[in-house]
Amino acid sequence: MSLDNLRNLYQQVILERYKSPRHRGKTDPVDRYQKGHNPSCGDTIELTLHLDEAAERIQDVKFDGEGCAISLASADLMAEALRGRTVAEALEMVQRFQSMMRGEAEFPQEFRKLNVMQGVAQFPVRIKCANLSWHTLKAALEAQEAQLAAFVSNE
Amino acid sequence: MTLAQERTLAAKVRADFPILHQQIHGKPLVYLDNAATSQKPLVVLDALQNYYQQDNANVHRGVHTLSSRATDAYEGARDKVAAFVNAASRQEIVYTRNASEAINLVAYSWGTSNLQAGDEIILSVMEHHSNLIPWQLLAQRTGAVLKFVELTETEEFDLEHFKSLISDRTKLVAIVHVSNTLGCINPVQEITAIAHQHGAKVLIDACQSVPHMAVDVQAIDCDWLVASGHKMCAPTGIGFLYGKLDLLRSMPPFLGGGEMIADVFLDHSTYADLPHKFEAGTPAIAEAIALGAAVDYLSAIGMETIHTYEAELTAYLWQQLQQVPQIRLYGPKPDANGEGRAALAAFTTAAVHPHDLSTILDQAGVAIRAGHHCTQPLHRFLGAQSTARASLHFYNTREEIDTFVAALKEAIDFLGIFLDKRNWATHSSMPNNPCA
Ligand SMILES: Cc1ncc(COP(=O)(O)O)c(C=O)c1O
Repeated sequence: MSLDNLRNLYQQVILERYKSPRHRGKTDPVDRYQKGHNPSCGDTIELTLHLDEAAERIQDVKFDGEGCAISLASADLMAEALRGRTVAEALEMVQRFQSMMRGEAEFPQEFRKLNVMQGVAQFPVRIKCANLSWHTLKAALEAQEAQLAAFVSNE
Repeated sequence: MTLAQERTLAAKVRADFPILHQQIHGKPLVYLDNAATSQKPLVVLDALQNYYQQDNANVHRGVHTLSSRATDAYEGARDKVAAFVNAASRQEIVYTRNASEAINLVAYSWGTSNLQAGDEIILSVMEHHSNLIPWQLLAQRTGAVLKFVELTETEEFDLEHFKSLISDRTKLVAIVHVSNTLGCINPVQEITAIAHQHGAKVLIDACQSVPHMAVDVQAIDCDWLVASGHKMCAPTGIGFLYGKLDLLRSMPPFLGGGEMIADVFLDHSTYADLPHKFEAGTPAIAEAIALGAAVDYLSAIGMETIHTYEAELTAYLWQQLQQVPQIRLYGPKPDANGEGRAALAAFTTAAVHPHDLSTILDQAGVAIRAGHHCTQPLHRFLGAQSTARASLHFYNTREEIDTFVAALKEAIDFLGIFLDKRNWATHSSMPNNPCA
């Protein structure tokens, strides 16, 4: 087995976050709710956001759902990185993450933890797994208020 | 079931499949995704090549030599398919793009003109989306009602439940022959007899049976049967619908166009006789001819031989997988001879998500499928988000099963060391290996 390839994909941080996620659950209060779905594998994620009064800054992000190591670790790392960011900054990060999955960008020092996901770019069929939470975040931020039945598909 | 015997079939045929002889990430390819699509033997590839190099012309349309050769080969392949499933007449075989199109043909043509609000259609929870969505659409158009047969304890078709669902309101029973996820072999003959007692028509989805065992439409007595060429060593883009002659005759056309007509006027037309009534437009000629070559190839080996060999592989696969710690295998257990289920295994392991497993196995050269295998409702029914699936064909070997199972154990070690404490116990799809 090409363990080197695999270690590059399944970085220690990814496996740790998969095993013991730090941001699983539901925010209190829930200012945004968004369900994301990857139809090709059945993975789902439920994202909740707590925003400030002006709905401009993210106070807290939590996720729930079932998925592979890549999708769940990605969600956990994303939740962590988003705390305290403005909505505009978060949307910029969505774009950067998606560029990183194409091998075209990485995050600056401040968000370097997110760069552990870079290895996924070498596994094209798994990019969707890593993108699922970010894709869901984008839908959550673009929605005007908590949409309890909202559902986006990662196709 | 000696090793020597086992080597005989795979050893005989592996040279016929050039694609199998390659390395993936520096490891010999072990292709175990045959339920998704099978590999193609040289004779099939040659049939495609020869057709385009020597005979290419449109069918049924020309008087010239090439057209007549193309037509003969195209229609000759139909004879082969008819004989392969023991149809009473070649006119009962309609070429389609795949099984999905064949089911849609029946749903639109027969379904729309025969079903009314309140009529019932019986399916099972294990149906492939292909044998579910067309009926959902038909139900939406007509007001017909869908009913679903559930599973027994052993995760097989629950015949008793079926008997309790069927009534004189039932107009159609559409059931998979061999489940692409559970691997169970459904009692289609008995299902058909019961359905007919109630005046219901029966459609059998034979995608996973026709490539692996002898299937006889007259013995089953079903009204329609569908299969896809690409799962039976033929190219993609070709499949077939078998239908009883009188029934097909009574059905209105599905798609309109050239080929399917007798006489055309500006305001109306009359239609060609069977099977061409259902084959609008220029068909997949090369693919149909190659399907004929695939049928010849399978018949030359013999479906009994294939089935017996695959049963041996099934027994071995099961025996090996059961030794993997914390594995949950879906569907019925094979008997000691490997009979009673198909040569595939859908499973989950406590430590590793199917998607991660598939990536890790790919690094070892082993191709398996991860996901819901187009049976999402079944996965929901089983309480599993997704499963991993290894599916075999007659060119697979016992050694390949060894490679797969060893890689599976390594994958569990690789991720499992980090994940051993993960709380999978609450995962509803993980009872203590009920198949053991
Ligand atoms: C049981 C079953 N039915 C139907 C299908 C659909 O076949 P196709 O996609 O070729 O139409 C498949 C293949 O995935 C299958 O396994």
